[in-house]
This record gives sequence, structure tokens and C-alpha cells, in this order.
Amino acid sequence: MKAMLKTMAIASIACATTLAALPAAAVEISFYYPIAVSGPLTKIIDAMAADFEKANPDIKVKPIYSGNYGETLAKALTANKSGSPPQVAVLVASDTLTLIDEDAVAPMDQFVKTPADKAWLDGFFPAFMMNGRYLGKTYGVPFQRSTQVMYWNKDEFKAAGLDPDKPPQNWDQLVEYGKKLTKQDASGKVTQWGLIVPSGVTSHWFLQGFTTQNQAKLTNEAGTEAYLHTPAAIEALSFWTDLARKHKIMQEGIIDTGNAPNEFIGGRAAIMFHSTGNLTNVKNNAKFPFGVAMLPERKQRGSATGGGNIYIFKKSSPEQLEASFKFVKWMTSAPQAARWGIATGYVAGRQDAWDTPEMKQYQKDFPPASVALQQLPFCAPEFETHAGPRTTKALEDAIAASLTGTKTPDKALADAQAEANRILRSYK
Amino acid sequence: MKVGADNRWQRGLETLAAWLLAIVWAAPLLYCAWTSLHHPGDVARMDLSAPLTVHNYAYVFNAAPFPRYFLNTFILVTMVIVAQFTLSTLAGYAFARFRFPGRNVMFVLVLLQLMIMPDVLIVENYRTLNTMGLTDTILAIAMPYFGSAFGIFLMRQTFKSVPKELDDAARIEGAGTLRTLVSVYVPLAKPVYLAYGLVSVSYHWNNFLWPLIVTNSVTARPLTVGLQIFSSGDQGIAWPILTAATLLSAGPLLVAFLLFQRQFVQSFLRAGIR
Repeated sequence: MKAMLKTMAIASIACATTLAALPAAAVEISFYYPIAVSGPLTKIIDAMAADFEKANPDIKVKPIYSGNYGETLAKALTANKSGSPPQVAVLVASDTLTLIDEDAVAPMDQFVKTPADKAWLDGFFPAFMMNGRYLGKTYGVPFQRSTQVMYWNKDEFKAAGLDPDKPPQNWDQLVEYGKKLTKQDASGKVTQWGLIVPSGVTSHWFLQGFTTQNQAKLTNEAGTEAYLHTPAAIEALSFWTDLARKHKIMQEGIIDTGNAPNEFIGGRAAIMFHSTGNLTNVKNNAKFPFGVAMLPERKQRGSATGGGNIYIFKKSSPEQLEASFKFVKWMTSAPQAARWGIATGYVAGRQDAWDTPEMKQYQKDFPPASVALQQLPFCAPEFETHAGPRTTKALEDAIAASLTGTKTPDKALADAQAEANRILRSYK
Repeated sequence: MKVGADNRWQRGLETLAAWLLAIVWAAPLLYCAWTSLHHPGDVARMDLSAPLTVHNYAYVFNAAPFPRYFLNTFILVTMVIVAQFTLSTLAGYAFARFRFPGRNVMFVLVLLQLMIMPDVLIVENYRTLNTMGLTDTILAIAMPYFGSAFGIFLMRQTFKSVPKELDDAARIEGAGTLRTLVSVYVPLAKPVYLAYGLVSVSYHWNNFLWPLIVTNSVTARPLTVGLQIFSSGDQGIAWPILTAATLLSAGPLLVAFLLFQRQFVQSFLRAGIR
């Protein structure tokens, strides 16, 4: 009996000390994140959250994997409507206006108080900040960002008599090289295309490569107007359409976005335009030497930024909001941004992340990783307006109609413009 | 003589058609199996001599806690099917054999539910379950599907077709209401249960959006949500990994179907669900 009492006493003391070791009330925040690159990345996120908790014992983070981008948005907005949103979420950068219109997210500016906070906010690349800003406030900061780059198969360049270290520099060269790289068998069937540009999911984003090079601006900053039917935009879409229909260096019709890398890796296309998100995939799976470069220029170099920003949801307690800001700051800080960038292939969103020793080593081991960085000054933000999904659909319908030949580029974009005007009328 | 030749021709054509259909049906599965056993670089070219590998399966199995997801899916479909059978049987029986005020109005209300896509109700259902404190549980995934309009309608129609004489005979033997239901109606409806069970199990085995939205942790999430990690958007689809994961998760259902194929087909024919 005495022994038992003693054990109990020790146990309760042990309990008390553990309790005392814990802070009085740990704030709990939930963190929704999508995974858009394959692999066991959930484990990396869990490890990052655990490291954050170690550094901030008074905050508990619950990372919740929530599908792809679209599903994460649906999940976050559903939870938000029933009054229990996540505190922090990673969502598409160009969903900023949707989140603001749903009154879901809080601007970062309201948490920025110290000079250190300000330095943190100013440290991101301006190209990655455009989608997340609205009316002078910053709602989303870069977490997992990407841009389009050009991949080319060096073996095929050699076989076609081209310099394997010199990718096409402009639109004319792209067509010229593409013709040399397109191969046919005896019956005239194409066995290898010169070029592959995806036109399935997010085709609007691939159009933005061409429009940015042609200096066509597609929206105004407030997201209340779309400029789709402009001479520069029409010329860009015509060029893309002609690659397949006139120059015959690309497969006709719609090219599946998710499957395009497989075509490149499988040797069925010699040049590919795709997201930097594919770097790791191509590096691991291509059996030939390949190069990565900026997209070819027209009036200028150009590409579009894509990927996900990190947001703070406003329907949370003040303690949770403060904890969320700490978490966001930590997740996007130089060491963590570098860690996530190296693990995933995403473009780290701030210069100081690129200056860390780990990142320097990574660039040295894998030089293509820094191409996106060099191209950043020429990047446009991803297409974004109010009622974004609907205007984007209008634009993507126009692209599909033009690429499949059911409408001329001019007519397709005129229709898209009329549709966008109708959708945006109520936001003026 | 001529009749015999015609018959042989007909038999031959039927066999050919059956083979064609079988190949069409099996092609995606065979492609899945083929792709899942190859390296990504070899898949786009469909090179039959490419080396085989089981690496994809090992990768998938290590990338996510699949045994746990299997268990969750199993608990989920069991829970749904037990609740649906019980509720549909009782409600269908009531609609088929009892006269009570408001019966027709209530039946119309049940039928109305058939016309509403479950996805429309996601926000409302989430709100309700959130108030009950049930989000992030397997019960939360299952609960909105317990009362199935389709099931009630199906059981009502089936029970209506049971001859009244059998019912009367059971009552003369001294059976009460529930006893009659269990001993007369339910055994006669067996093929319908089997067919409905298959439809329901495969629906809930495959359901994705609602489980994703209402659950947050590994302990509550079904296979489909776990599988989603492998269909990535930004990076292109790694078909070998995706097909390996698909076969792993669809496997048990597929095996069950092949084992009970004959019973399923027969019960579908008898129950008239197509």
C-alpha cells in the first residue's frame, strides 16, 4: 500500500512537472496545404511544422494535406463558410481576389510592426508579389512558386545538326529549329515533334508566355478589366496556333498538360515549354542530357509566374492570428524557403534564400535551377481578375477554339473579350 | 442442315463479340498493370521489351500509410452499407405495406432527394457536422449517406412486388410485423440487396471530394484521399507511380468483383438496376 502511494506520488509529481514544462495555453493553428508535385512531400511539411514548434513551444501547428490546389480552395472556403477556417493555407497565388471577395483572408500588413517584419515583407521578389497584392495591401506571400522555362533535348539537337548548347533565342529561331527537329518516318507519320507546349489544364498560363514576350498586358491591376482582344494578344495566340497548323512543328489540337513531360522524357518532342516544377521530374527520368533556358523572346523575354502563396484566414482569434503570422514568417524565411525549394524544385521566393550555403551548393550541382531566377525580371503575374475562374475559362475556351481551328485567333479572342466584359461588369 | 450452319455462324459471331468486349473492358486494366511495372522513361514509347520493375509499388507503399487508409475505407463502406440496408429496409417496408397519413407526401419528399446532387450540399453538411463536433471522423464521411433515397425507393418497389398472399400466410402463422419483414420480405429481396450493395460500396470506395473536405488526419481519411498525393499538377503526371497506386487501392474491390462476378451479374439482371 505504502509502495503504491509512493508510486502514485512520484507519478503525480512527474505529471505536474510535465504540465509545468508546457506553456499555460498553447495556441493551436491549422495549416492546409496542397501538393502539386508528386512524392512524399507530406513528410517534409510535417518535419518543417515540427521544427517550428520546437522553436516556438507556445504554438501548435496542425498541417493538413488537402488535395490539389482546386480541392484545397474548396476545402478552405467550405470550412470558412461554416465559421471554422484553417488559420493558414497555401493556395494558388492568382486566387487572391477570390479569397478577398469571399472576405476570407487578412492582409499581412496588419501584422507587420517591427523593422524586422518589414524587412521580411520587402525581401520577396517583386515578380512573385504581384498576384498577392491588392489595393496596396499584401494578402499572400510566395511559398511555392514557379515559372515557365524551356527544356531541350541535347542529343536531338546534335542529331539535327544544331549546337546542343544553344537553344532557340527568339520566335523565328524557334520555328527554324523546330522544323529541323521534327522527324517523320517513311510513311510521313511524325515520330518526333520539334516542340511541345501544353494546352490542357492552365492553358491560359502557357499563353501568357507568348503574350508577355509580345508585351501584351492581359488585365489591369485592380482585376476589374481584361484586355484579351488586343493586337499584341491576337498575334501571340496566332503564333502559338501557327506552330502546329502552319509550321507543323507541334502536334495539332489540345496537348495534355500533365502528360507533356512524359512526351519530352520519352523522346517524342525535342523542345518543351513547361513549369519549373518539372525540373526534378525531368532530371530523374530523362535518359538523355538536357538543357534549361529562358523562353525565346519576341519584343522581350517573357514568362508568367505561377504556383502557390501562403495566406492567413481572418476568422480566427487574435492569438491565433499572431501565431499564424509567426508561422508564415518562419515558413517563408530564408533557411526554410531554401529547404523547401531544394526538396521540391519550386523557385524560392526571396533573394536571401538563394544566398544560403545550401542553395548555393544546390545551384552548383544543378545549374538549371537558377534559370528561373534569371528570368524572373521578365515575368508577368498569372492572369487574375475578379470572378477569376470564369474569366479564365473564357480565355481558355478561346485558346482551345483557336488551337483546334474552330475559330480564328482574332474571333476567338473577340468572343472571350465579350464574355469577360459581361462577367466583370458587376465589379466596376 | 442449313439451320445448323446458321447456328454455327451465330455462335461464332457471338464468341467473337464476347472476346472483343472482354478486351475492350480489360484494356485499361492491362495498360495500368503494364505501366505500373515500368520506368517512367519507357512508358511513353510503349516499348514491349523495356525492363520490368516493382520499384513503383515499393515507392507508393512507402510514400503514404496505405494500410491505415485501407482500414479506414473498409470501416467507411461497412458503416454506410449497414446503415443504408437497415434504414432502406424499414422505410421501404413502411412505404410499401402501410397506410398512414401523409404517406404519399413523404414519399415524394424522399424522391426529391434523388434529384439533388450530393456535392451541392457540401457546405450545409459540413456546417451541420461541425456543429455536432464530428468533423474529421469516419462517421462524418458516412453520415450524410445513411438515408439513401435510391435505397428506399428500390426497397419499396421490391417489397411491393412480393405477393400479398405470402405476407398473409406469415401472419396466419402468427408472425408479427417485424418477423414478417425479416422472414418473408428480406429473403425474397436478396438479389436486390446484392446489386444495391455493389453500387453503394463502389460509390463510397471511390468517393473523393466529400471525404477530403470533411477530414483532416490520417486516422479518418480513406484511400482515395491518400491516393491523391500521386496525381500532381505542377509537375506532370508520373503514370507508373499513379497506376501502381491505383491498382493497389482498387485491387480489393476488383478481386471481390471477379470472385462474385456470376452472382453480381445475375442479381443485376433480376433487380433491374443497370
